[in-house]
Amino acid sequence: MKLKLLFICMVLLSGFGFAQETKTVSGIITDQNAMPLPGAEVKVIGKEIFDVTDFDGNFTLEGVETGDAVRVTYLGFVPQEFTVTQTNEYSIALEEDADQLDEVVVVGYGTQKKRDLTGAISVIDSEEIEKTPSSNVMQSLQGKVSGVQIVNSGSPGDSPTVRIRGLGTYGDATSVLYVVDGTLYDNIDFLNSKDIASINVLKDASSSAIYGVRAANGVVIIETKSGRKNQKPQFEYDGYTGFQRAQNVVKLANTEQFATMARESGSAAEIQFIENAIQRYGRSRINPNVPAVNTDWYKEILRQGIIQNHSLSVSGGGESVVYALGANYTGQEGILDMENSYERFNIRSKVDVDISDRLKMGVNSIFSNAIKYAPENGAWFRAYFAVPTMPVFDELNTEASPIRYSNAQLLGYRGTQNPFQDLSYNENRIKIRKLLTSMFLQFDIIEDKLDIKTTYSHNFTALEERNVNLPYTLGNNFERRSSIRRANNNYSNQYWDNVLTYNDNFGDHDLTLMAGTSFRDEASNTFSATGFDITGIGLETSWYLDFADPDSFNSNVSEVGRRFYGLSYFGRVAYNFKDKYLLYGTFRADGSSKFTLDPWGYFPSLGLGWVVSEEEFLRDNEVLDFFKLRASWGKLGNDNVAASAGSNTIEVVTTPIGDEPRTGLTSTSVFSNNTWEVIEEYNFGLNIEAFDNRLSVDADYYIRDTHDAILPVYIPIVNRSVDRNSGVIRNEGLELVANWSQQISEDFTFRIGANFTTLKNETLEIEDERGYIDSGSAEFRQRTTIGGPLLGFFGYERIGVYQNQEQIEADPVAVANGLVPGDLIYRDQNGDGVIDDADRVILGSFLPKYTFGGNIGFSYKAFDFSLDFYGQAGNKILNRKRGEIIFTQDTNMDADLAINRWHGEGTSNTYPSSAGLRKAWNQRLSNFWVEDGDFFRIQNIQVAYNLEAKGIPNTRIYLTAEKPFSFFDYNGFNPEVADGVDRQTYPVPAIYTMGVNIKF
Amino acid sequence: MKKYSLIKFLLLCLVFGFGVSSCSEKLDVREGQLNTGDLDYTDASNMIQPLIGAYYEFATRGWEEPLLLGVRGDDVNAGGLGDQQPFADTDRYDYEKNYWMYNSLWNVHYNDIINMNTAILQLENFKEYADEEGIARADQYIAEIKVLRAYLHFNLARVWEDVFIITSNQPEEELELGVSSKADVMQFISDEMDMAIENLPDMRPNERTDIRGGVTKYTAYALKALAHQELENYQEVADAAGAIISSGKFSLYPDFYQLFKKPGELSNESLLEIQYSDYGTEAGDELYHLYAPFGPQNWTPVRENAQSGWGFYEPSEKFIKFMLDRDEETRLVTSVLFTDRGIADLQADGYTDLPAFVSNVTPSGDIINDYARARFASGKHYLPSIQLTDGRNDYSAGKNLIVIRYAEILLMYAEAITLGASAPSISADEAVNIVRDRADMQPLSGVTHQQVLDEKFAELSMELGIRYYDMIRHDKYGELSYDGREFSADDEYLPYPQAQLDALPIEATAVDRDTPTNEILRQLN
Repeated sequence: MKLKLLFICMVLLSGFGFAQETKTVSGIITDQNAMPLPGAEVKVIGKEIFDVTDFDGNFTLEGVETGDAVRVTYLGFVPQEFTVTQTNEYSIALEEDADQLDEVVVVGYGTQKKRDLTGAISVIDSEEIEKTPSSNVMQSLQGKVSGVQIVNSGSPGDSPTVRIRGLGTYGDATSVLYVVDGTLYDNIDFLNSKDIASINVLKDASSSAIYGVRAANGVVIIETKSGRKNQKPQFEYDGYTGFQRAQNVVKLANTEQFATMARESGSAAEIQFIENAIQRYGRSRINPNVPAVNTDWYKEILRQGIIQNHSLSVSGGGESVVYALGANYTGQEGILDMENSYERFNIRSKVDVDISDRLKMGVNSIFSNAIKYAPENGAWFRAYFAVPTMPVFDELNTEASPIRYSNAQLLGYRGTQNPFQDLSYNENRIKIRKLLTSMFLQFDIIEDKLDIKTTYSHNFTALEERNVNLPYTLGNNFERRSSIRRANNNYSNQYWDNVLTYNDNFGDHDLTLMAGTSFRDEASNTFSATGFDITGIGLETSWYLDFADPDSFNSNVSEVGRRFYGLSYFGRVAYNFKDKYLLYGTFRADGSSKFTLDPWGYFPSLGLGWVVSEEEFLRDNEVLDFFKLRASWGKLGNDNVAASAGSNTIEVVTTPIGDEPRTGLTSTSVFSNNTWEVIEEYNFGLNIEAFDNRLSVDADYYIRDTHDAILPVYIPIVNRSVDRNSGVIRNEGLELVANWSQQISEDFTFRIGANFTTLKNETLEIEDERGYIDSGSAEFRQRTTIGGPLLGFFGYERIGVYQNQEQIEADPVAVANGLVPGDLIYRDQNGDGVIDDADRVILGSFLPKYTFGGNIGFSYKAFDFSLDFYGQAGNKILNRKRGEIIFTQDTNMDADLAINRWHGEGTSNTYPSSAGLRKAWNQRLSNFWVEDGDFFRIQNIQVAYNLEAKGIPNTRIYLTAEKPFSFFDYNGFNPEVADGVDRQTYPVPAIYTMGVNIKF
Repeated sequence: MKKYSLIKFLLLCLVFGFGVSSCSEKLDVREGQLNTGDLDYTDASNMIQPLIGAYYEFATRGWEEPLLLGVRGDDVNAGGLGDQQPFADTDRYDYEKNYWMYNSLWNVHYNDIINMNTAILQLENFKEYADEEGIARADQYIAEIKVLRAYLHFNLARVWEDVFIITSNQPEEELELGVSSKADVMQFISDEMDMAIENLPDMRPNERTDIRGGVTKYTAYALKALAHQELENYQEVADAAGAIISSGKFSLYPDFYQLFKKPGELSNESLLEIQYSDYGTEAGDELYHLYAPFGPQNWTPVRENAQSGWGFYEPSEKFIKFMLDRDEETRLVTSVLFTDRGIADLQADGYTDLPAFVSNVTPSGDIINDYARARFASGKHYLPSIQLTDGRNDYSAGKNLIVIRYAEILLMYAEAITLGASAPSISADEAVNIVRDRADMQPLSGVTHQQVLDEKFAELSMELGIRYYDMIRHDKYGELSYDGREFSADDEYLPYPQAQLDALPIEATAVDRDTPTNEILRQLN
């Protein structure tokens, strides 16, 4: 209000200068809510008079005449024009542009308008990313992008698993390619969410084919924030702090339940162990048949963790320079009760300089310095199995030092079991230092038409690992000596890209041509050494290998190195006619040193689009604002495979001969001459904008075939798995996204959005004489078979539990196998009257068949609220924690398994008896061990208040609950298990934070 | 201006074009790996390396192997109650083809065979460039590896009857030929040994200076004898064993107890021994076999922090009573570690007047405490805690594993003669009495087959299933039906592991369709 008064005064004052022929006008550019827009361009049409608004939205134009037309443009807003009248002061409110179709999208070695796209590209708004309190950018994408599956990792600093459009191969070969400001990465854990301007996911082959050999699993293009020309420096602080805690903690069997299971098992030794615990720790007064100990090991090893993040940045620009600079700190404590945390400090600068009006140069660098204290994931596993009849501390265990931890061996069990020996006496530190640096030089050969750009980038990573094992004793003669393992890993990846781009339009034709080369040099090196018996292990200052017993380095030192080269030639043509008919094509030839037979692969792609809404018959349509149909096809290669699969390699070994160490050689004797794994994909899609751009709908249907999929094939006798071209894997699915946003009144706007994805993962061909490919361990078999999914769980189908003796006697299968009531009944799939290997079937896949996500949000005056949800269905999880009872059956289990056990007729038709659990018949892999992984989760709730008042900077205060509620049936912490085998998965915690954002 | 920029443009193209094309040679570079083709086969001084590699493969046995090979005998039971149920079931002849131990035994054996085959191929490469001395040496090394490989085949055929013979490192063709009958496997071993004997050194393993404790001519004879024993060609057994005896090079280690401890390593009795060591150093390199499964689960060792074991391998009461009935002391004390609980059970069974040496304190002073999993533990796999290297705490850390020893040769020889073979060397009585003498047992005369079997029981118990394979060879199912067990002919061999049935090509059954195992394979595939 005060501002407006000021303007009126100024208008009055300036009125005195009216008599001049040319004059100076000024004003303010704001948005609908009267918030000033800094950096808006104000230009007199047809004249060289031009200004950019300052930080308060003010502009001044000198030398204008009455009647001049002035055009105001600002990205993301509808441009507006006004005519200079007698007034010298103008207050222009721009309207936000609901139609984002003119938005420019980065497509790899260039850009395209969103309306011209023919492929399937999802664009994620930076606001969406910032809502999630996470050190890793990709975690915030879960449920927000159709066709992209994100499996979170709860461990601080770890990256989630990202799968774009299913899975066509396996192992390392499945990682998505990240392109950060033009440089290629496998991992973007060094990026701060606040520094990101946009994320584009290139989902179909046509969009990603320009990255050829690296694009097989999809491409995520990330642009970091830049400054703008003629912009006053803008400072921004954003910080949040909060805590995280474990959700849906699995309930373990308590002492009562565990003792019951042990007694019902019929195993004399197990009963004796319970008695031993009673002797050692006393009898419970409530139930004299159990010991007076009841330890909930999960509760013992869990804790709350603090999370915080602070970012400070400044961006701006002058006539010929733009810049964005910033620093960020993020810190996160894990929920496992040990030295378990992640801290990262980033500094970043991005500067572009116009050296002349035709030569441009820019330097971009991010340095990220992180320390991760990695968890002892084995503790999750130990806590599950540790018996509840043992306390954490055992004062009777006087031989245990430095802490008197209990030891299950003293009760008669094989292992020490207590997870605290790992938590207290191990420390795993990794210092992660990453430097991204790139430089480009761009020269306009023909202004606005032809330019050449050369970019050199280097991403350098140094991982410094230090694993410290402190010495301890645990009673029962269990002693561990001190040791330190050091490993230094260096990764040095260099890229040199040259791109020539030609843009032109003539008449109704709009054409872009691009040609380029790319050279890749990716080297890695790991040096590691382990030393034992560290002098002065009590002090962290002496945790260096210098203090180890020098003899202990013998055969504990290793170095491994790799270096791969790649060379590519590529080109693109993008053409549109009358903005109606779109044509897009790319071609890439890739050479890779990983393929011994023929290093070259060739990857073409084609896309077509038809903007139907531009046709006469839809022009006058009131409802549809935009309607595009598109189709694309493309081929991609994958060289992300083990290179040594191409030859017979040698290993150096040492063995005692007459008490002397002697060195010899052994050699692997399997190899394969692999050819390129080639992905071929068809994509059909449409985009609709309707009801004044309030509604947008995107739909895509794709068929993606991975030919010559390189899968690990088990070679019997040789007993090794070798990566071989061995099949055709099809991923097929439908992706739907719909969004509606509307401004109801000046104070109230709301939006609602949903996305839905289906995935059918199917094996079409197997190039193996057996007709299937087995994976996983022999006990927990996964099989890829024609018509089935990749790596489906493979076993028996449980249809019930034998309830009584009559049922046993009536069933020849039960008689033949000596079964008793309480044993599982399996389906006789082939109806031959016996249950044997031929009755095994695919029990399901770890890939979800459906995923869906959505968001609801509204803002009312200064408040805004948003809620995101996510769910998936149709995936299976192998509950291997339970399943490992096949290795050791006298340890603990979860309460569900103990409570629901069969223990008499009618007590259960799904769970075996306690004795049955210990029997090989019931331990066979069946859908008793493989469970449904369906879940629904409230992903994020955020409430914010925006403080806008004179005299203080714009401030936003927000409260966030991340993943507060999850709903599922699976008997584990969390149904997010990347490969579907849940053995020691770090639980994904819920996070509650409070934050503030200040701009000035 | 336009021309100027065109020149610049062309110049740029030239620079980039040049830079890029010079990069293309890099596509043929493989950094950071050593391939078999990269070795210098002309340098004969490296020739020993593949051989050492083969001994390394031989030494890296899975912990479950000796357990599984031995557990079915009536000399030993599965301990470890409450743990590894299918192992206990195997002890009671209730087999589970999904059990990981079966699969691991199969896998580790064949994997080692394949790696040994690669070592042979490498030696043949060396041979191509070698001089006369080098050729002879390569032939000797190849023969050594063939003996090790034969032993692995021998184990496989003993456990599964019909198995694959693999002599290449790309086994597709041999797999297509299908499994060979047990008889064929034994004949293959015998033939291989005949060839190996020609090229192997004529000395005791511990006389070798290049590879101390390595394979010699007599190791090959021993394997030949074992193979023929399985074939029940007793004359061949007597001839091969007789060759060892007649050489006069071998003798029994005088102290039976210490034979299985560090002092008895690589003794004059040893014909094939797997060597483990920590080289007497507190830290640093070591190669151990995991003996913990054999150890008692609770003990008070003389040397502090010596770890106890898992109690998985329990000498049977039947064996202990057999020994007590014979008044054996040396061999009983060496073979069995007693607990008070076990002693009490013996007393309850009427052995009220037990000799003093039946005690829970070992001759080396370690005290075996009671534990729930078992009542007795194997003494032959026990290294007294005072013999451990300082700073090394693993159970029996660094102890060797004797595979074939002279006492077995003597008894095998005696058995063959009592079964009708003519004696090419000493008499059966003499052979048996050499063994008895060391154990402080009175000599026998006119020794019978049963007496030899009893002697083997007393002498070779707990050692790699020797007792079990004797019993099934002579169809002595009654002996194996003890303590509530019922043994029948169907129980002699383990079923093929499920993982192998799934992994092996159907063609594996194509050739020899008549064997019952192939029938099973066919059904399962």
